[in-house]
Amino acid sequence: MALIALRDVGFAYDERPVLKRISFELEAGAFVGIVGPNGSGKSTLIDLIDGILRPGAGEVLVNGVATDKYRRRAMARQVALVPQHFDLDFDLAVREVVEMGAYCRGKEAGPSGDAEEMLSRLGVAGLVDRRFLELSGGERQLVVLAQALMQRAPLLLLDEPASALDVSHQLRLFDLLRELNGEGLTVLCILHDLNLALHYFDKLLVLSEGEMAAFGPTDDVLRPEIIEAVYGVRAFLHRHAGRTYLTYSPRPRGDRLGRVHLVCGGGTGSGLMRELVDAGYDVSAGVLNALDTDEETGRELGLSMAVEAPFSPVGDEAYAENLALMRGADVVIVTAVPVSHGNERNIVAAMEAAAAGKPVWAAAGVLDADFTGITAGVGGVGVLLSAAADALHSALAALPLRSGRP
Amino acid sequence: MTRLARTGVWPGILLAAGVFALCLVLALALGPASLSLGRLWQLVVAGPVQGDLDNAIFWQIRMPRVLVACLVGAALAVAGVILQDLFLNPLTDPYVTGVSSGAALGATIGIVLHWSNLPWVTVLALVGGLGTLTLVWMAARRRGRIDIFVLLLAGVTIAYLASAVVTVLMISANQDMHAIIYWLMGSFSGRGWADVEIALVTLPFMAVPLFFTAEMDILLQGEKRALELGVEVERTKRLLLVTAGVLTALAVSVSGIIGFVGLVVPHIVRLLVGPGHRALLPVSLLVGAAMMVVADLLSRMVISPNEIPVGVVTTFVGAPLFVYLLRRGRRA
Repeated sequence: MALIALRDVGFAYDERPVLKRISFELEAGAFVGIVGPNGSGKSTLIDLIDGILRPGAGEVLVNGVATDKYRRRAMARQVALVPQHFDLDFDLAVREVVEMGAYCRGKEAGPSGDAEEMLSRLGVAGLVDRRFLELSGGERQLVVLAQALMQRAPLLLLDEPASALDVSHQLRLFDLLRELNGEGLTVLCILHDLNLALHYFDKLLVLSEGEMAAFGPTDDVLRPEIIEAVYGVRAFLHRHAGRTYLTYSPRPRGDRLGRVHLVCGGGTGSGLMRELVDAGYDVSAGVLNALDTDEETGRELGLSMAVEAPFSPVGDEAYAENLALMRGADVVIVTAVPVSHGNERNIVAAMEAAAAGKPVWAAAGVLDADFTGITAGVGGVGVLLSAAADALHSALAALPLRSGRP
Repeated sequence: MTRLARTGVWPGILLAAGVFALCLVLALALGPASLSLGRLWQLVVAGPVQGDLDNAIFWQIRMPRVLVACLVGAALAVAGVILQDLFLNPLTDPYVTGVSSGAALGATIGIVLHWSNLPWVTVLALVGGLGTLTLVWMAARRRGRIDIFVLLLAGVTIAYLASAVVTVLMISANQDMHAIIYWLMGSFSGRGWADVEIALVTLPFMAVPLFFTAEMDILLQGEKRALELGVEVERTKRLLLVTAGVLTALAVSVSGIIGFVGLVVPHIVRLLVGPGHRALLPVSLLVGAAMMVVADLLSRMVISPNEIPVGVVTTFVGAPLFVYLLRRGRRA
């Protein structure tokens, strides 16, 4: 039997629907994150599971029993919750605050060393004799976690436990949760940081406007298309230093300002690629060698690129492809890429595009790193610009990039 | 609640009990006719005896008066702790629920009517207090829950309404104005054994919150957190609110409206023993009793043989003390 099961659950505050048609189950031992935009109903969902709120439609079962059948004390023995905000205006000792968690266990609660033991479990045994009000935000969060763990409930719900924590406390918290999970604790945790979700959670539930947008293994759920649909931003998956992580661009796909083609390589174009994508331009690049830094960046950003095999000079096929990309662009930019015999045909292509009337800009640095002398001709046909990002932006903004586009 | 703190609870309670006992002895011994400790002991051992002036003063006047003061002070302090912690508002006192104003209205009607076959002032004050509690309760009940803020607002509103009616009665019954004002200021003057009997009813109600110290501690974190930790919040809240209301109504009906004890005592005690209720409740009870007994002693000693209403004494002592505590910063 599932530890918790939600069947077609709906909930509304007054007349305003907050959750609709939520159905999922959680087996004992699961380690699941809940993500979703602000106001998507995440906190309401965990309040429903804890029986604080009653579903307006459907049913919420804990151990097979509907939550409204539970007395509060029995519920607290099954489900513990770490709230997002914890207010305490009274000057209580940390020990007292932690021991309140044992309330639901009544007389069976263990000996008086409990609070101390729990805090040392969390690596903060030294807090036990401090006053709660003296603690920092991170310490308070750990004390509230200790309080919830004192319930010894098989299910732990957490509402954005990491939001007030610095990086080191965040990692410590999630490592700790994983450790507790290894000992059998079932964890359901709301969080905002998708990279933390990606790194720590086996399974994710994505809420969007009160409905389940996705529920499944983290890698399946945190795909750029789902993130774009739910959050309305563009998302990119990167693999770096042995990790997968996400970055975002504020503009959703399909809202392009114009198309820019980059002649770059060796990392000279990566920054510009990202900047142009974030600013809302459609970006293409070429010719780049596969596994080149700029090629990898372009691939992660999903750019159209003309690509040549690693460490090979630009061949005819790639050259033609590159030229086609340039023709489709509103402007061609040549970065301060070192020019050698391997990539000189890219400059030739740029000059050809310029000759055909395409605006072509070259970074001033490209002349300094030209080992072939071919760029000597650029000055005559293109416009020479410095590659300073600000100047570039204002220059781009002045161009009629949308011309001839629907 | 806190098992380790459990050992730390008793010294505070015993100390408070000692202070209270000392105040009690002082209040019984001192007065317009002061008694030595030895004489006091004789009188206690002898019990009420006819024909002895000291004995009559002690058993018929001083003893019931001091007992009523003890019980009223304790009841107001306990009600103050309950209400401050349920409202999570340090400026709450037992009178915000409107119960005292309802009682004042009842008492005023009793005074104006001049009925004498029953202690009508006390009875009507009790009826007024409990009636107000019922009204406020009904106003605050929504979908089976008690909304603590509506309760507060309803209490304040009814308090104003009752005061307005009291004012009208005072003006129309001119010859009783003095008695009404005197009652409103609060006094233990002339309280006898009949009043003690009414005040004794507070004892079981003062005991009620002692069974809910763990729940009250947890409720300091707010109602939602208390639910999450397994407290039956609605049930606990109702029980405690009714308890505080009944304590206030009983206290006011025998003593009039004595300010500042229910407000200041919980604050002082929190500074001394912390906000944990295992210590806070019993110590507040004892300190409330001690403070009221001393205030009553001052009220009859300062301009003897005349008396200052005890409500004036507690206000004179309580107001500066409270301002001092506020300036010290809200540690509790």
